[in-house]
Amino acid sequence: MSKAILTDVTKCIGCLKCVSACKVAHNLEMDVPRVWDKNDGLSAENWTSVIRKDGDRYVRKQCRHCLEPACASVCPVGALHKTEIGAVTYDSAKCLGCRYCMMACPFGIPRYDWDKTVPHVEKCILCYDRIRIGEQPACTQACPTGATMFGDRDELLKVAHRRINENPSKYIKRVWGEHEVGGTSVLYLSDIDLDFLTYPTRPNGAALPKETAAAMESVPYAFVGMGGVMLGLSWIIRRRMKMDKEQGKKKEPSDE
Amino acid sequence: MNRVQNTKLVLWLMTGFAAAIALNRYVFGLGVTTNLNDKTPWGFWIGFDVMAGVALAAGGFVTTAIFYIMKREEFHPLVRPAVLTAFLGYLAVVAGLLVDLGLPWNIWHMIIYWNPHSPLFEVGWCVMLYTTVLLLEFSPVPLEESSRYARVRNFLMRFRFPLVLLGIMLSTLHQSSLGTLFLIMPYRLFPLWYSHILPIQFFISAVALGLMMVAFESLISHWLYRREPETPLVGKLCGAAVWVLAVYFIVKMTDIVAAGKFGLIFNGNWQSDLFIVEILVSTLIPMALFAVPKLRRNSKVQWVGSSMVVIGMVLNRIDVGGLAMLDSTASYTPSWMEIAISLGIVSAAALAFLFVTERFHIWEIRPEDPQSLPHTPPSFDYSSRTWLGVPRIASLTKHTLAFVLSFAVGMAFMPGRKLHAEGIDSVTVSRATGIDTLCIDGNRDDQFVEFPHQAHISWIRTHKIPTSPADDTSGFALAGKDSCSVCHHLNLPGERLSECWECHASMYAQADFFRHDWHASPAGAKLKCDDCHTAGVTRTAQSAKKCTACHPFYKFTTIGVGATPAYHILSYTDAMHKMCVSCHVVEAKVVKDKQDLALCTTCHRVGTPPNLRAGMKWDISVPHFDNVVLPDVGLSVK
Repeated sequence: MSKAILTDVTKCIGCLKCVSACKVAHNLEMDVPRVWDKNDGLSAENWTSVIRKDGDRYVRKQCRHCLEPACASVCPVGALHKTEIGAVTYDSAKCLGCRYCMMACPFGIPRYDWDKTVPHVEKCILCYDRIRIGEQPACTQACPTGATMFGDRDELLKVAHRRINENPSKYIKRVWGEHEVGGTSVLYLSDIDLDFLTYPTRPNGAALPKETAAAMESVPYAFVGMGGVMLGLSWIIRRRMKMDKEQGKKKEPSDE
Repeated sequence: MNRVQNTKLVLWLMTGFAAAIALNRYVFGLGVTTNLNDKTPWGFWIGFDVMAGVALAAGGFVTTAIFYIMKREEFHPLVRPAVLTAFLGYLAVVAGLLVDLGLPWNIWHMIIYWNPHSPLFEVGWCVMLYTTVLLLEFSPVPLEESSRYARVRNFLMRFRFPLVLLGIMLSTLHQSSLGTLFLIMPYRLFPLWYSHILPIQFFISAVALGLMMVAFESLISHWLYRREPETPLVGKLCGAAVWVLAVYFIVKMTDIVAAGKFGLIFNGNWQSDLFIVEILVSTLIPMALFAVPKLRRNSKVQWVGSSMVVIGMVLNRIDVGGLAMLDSTASYTPSWMEIAISLGIVSAAALAFLFVTERFHIWEIRPEDPQSLPHTPPSFDYSSRTWLGVPRIASLTKHTLAFVLSFAVGMAFMPGRKLHAEGIDSVTVSRATGIDTLCIDGNRDDQFVEFPHQAHISWIRTHKIPTSPADDTSGFALAGKDSCSVCHHLNLPGERLSECWECHASMYAQADFFRHDWHASPAGAKLKCDDCHTAGVTRTAQSAKKCTACHPFYKFTTIGVGATPAYHILSYTDAMHKMCVSCHVVEAKVVKDKQDLALCTTCHRVGTPPNLRAGMKWDISVPHFDNVVLPDVGLSVK
């Protein structure tokens, strides 16, 4: 069963206990602001952050654990992997540091240890070690108001839609993460627009790996096709040259 | 032949400089040597070293296709230099990758860990295989030097046609797949460059660039070694390039018009300007020049046109590789260290090229080795008139010196501050809403707390002992304007700030804040020992005056576990509680419908027995610390 996190922005009080719990659970170091940080609070030492918006709204940012993750599809060695339970995990032993995942992520989530001599990609792994043995992630466990909660994705979607239906005036009628880039395992309910969490012009709907799929599927055809064309071309030219030579030979005696 | 020697000298200088920078990159990491950041994780090295490098090396497969497949025998003089350039080009690409990758020693992982969905996986494999193919294609050349290897050479020559064919097939794949890399980021790449047929565009432009690179290289070597120019051959290449460039231009423009992006070209922003410049330099102007048969047979026009295509197409790869970003907040300009390393890699490849051409049969007429001529004048150092040895030794000495000196300069040029600060930005401080205190990120993990900064420093601001209660503004204050260094450790590397818990050190007990050194210091309170301590008695805290003797209006800690009227500051728990709880208690009385605000269990939830949960009110004397995160060691107390 695919697990997921549902975050209700209207319930978040911005206490940052999730951030703190995440740091403890993953043994992350104290954070130092760096010139290469983005301004959303995420960093190599902060796998989740809380963004403050106007009107005392707090939006938790973390890896969205896409159902069809772009990062996992582009990783040349498969260091990133979408597990059956829903988490997109990272295997630092496989990683070679190409940072293609960071380029490909539509939410701009993965962070890099730019200051380290042996750097790795850093991102939320949905507390894979905990959820695998039936516990819930550190962040949802720490939340004092129940703003962010853990469960089966289908059930959380039901919960989200029930909340919207029960309180249509309170929420924007949309569950963020239900359809974006093919659906994500981290869902949001909100009364403010959450499109700032992704890049501006992301066409909604289709999962990103589909963008490369067509090109990648045509690779064998291009390979064989180019070989065939070249072989054919070579054969034709050789044959023509041979015929030219033979004709020349034939012509020679006639010329004499 | 001074031209060759001087060029080599410059190349050695650049190589040495880059080697020093590269050493620093491996010791200190990517953050201090590059301007790469979390918004633009790919930069100049990917754009120039890898993407442009692979495209520049396209001359190899284009030339072999012309010669071996299309049987255009007249191009024979260009085949060997083109294959050599391609081989060295791919080695340079790999070198560039080894610098750019975060974990370069894992580069071989692509061989054992497979992810066939990844375009990069495919590019990596193609580059690996094609570099091997190029090595096999080229190795007959050095092998022909000695008859001893004739059998190996004959064996390789037998497979030359299949190798050429395989090389073309592999090149087709990865030249286009470099474009496929960017298909997954439509939100990142500016729409003028993003296209669903980016792989096709990349392939066509690589063919054009390959033709022009072969031409460019012929022109350079002609200039460098004062060789007979191959003007008519280069003219033919230029003629072919017109067709390829035309196809490229039509494909690109049709795609832009079909996608409805034509208007973006004349938007007037910097991206549209960049696009116009790129198209003009890489395609339109050279195409117009070479379309005239008379012009393309002129060697000067060949120079201008081919270098324009080379520069323009390299610009195109850099644009796609990270320069033409859609996100306006992403700012990236390559650091000088990135550019230095890239130039160093190109220089090293050029040196290798010159080395091979001077020793093996690359050109129809081998360039004269200046050092083997019997009549070369002896080499003297210009300034000291010292004989530098036979010419070969002399040039070796010069080149070694150039490398070593520029290596040293490279080491000296490393910005020390950046190395030690490791890119630390200033600490985030903002004003708390509605309160005249600062909000500081106490332990720098975005956990902002209200921090009475002024109160921390204000007491005894003027170095005067307060004489009336009005002077004393706060109970917890440091020693005036000298107190900055208590928290702002200006003497520590990286200008690290003290975190809250470094003073409020104990979780529950109070901490000693008395600053003995400041009181005794001539720059501080200028007190003599006997001013505080009773003369003749062992000097301890007990034998000293009480604080209140000098600071009569000092407010001592009155809350917290074991509050004592001594020179103590709040424990961490108390300090943190004071920040949250004091407000919560007040608000609970005001906000009628949220009585729970003042309950311990509102914040301390996990593990509290249900029977205790209901009635617990804030009571400082009861230690209740479920799920409280210790700041210093990061442990959760249960």
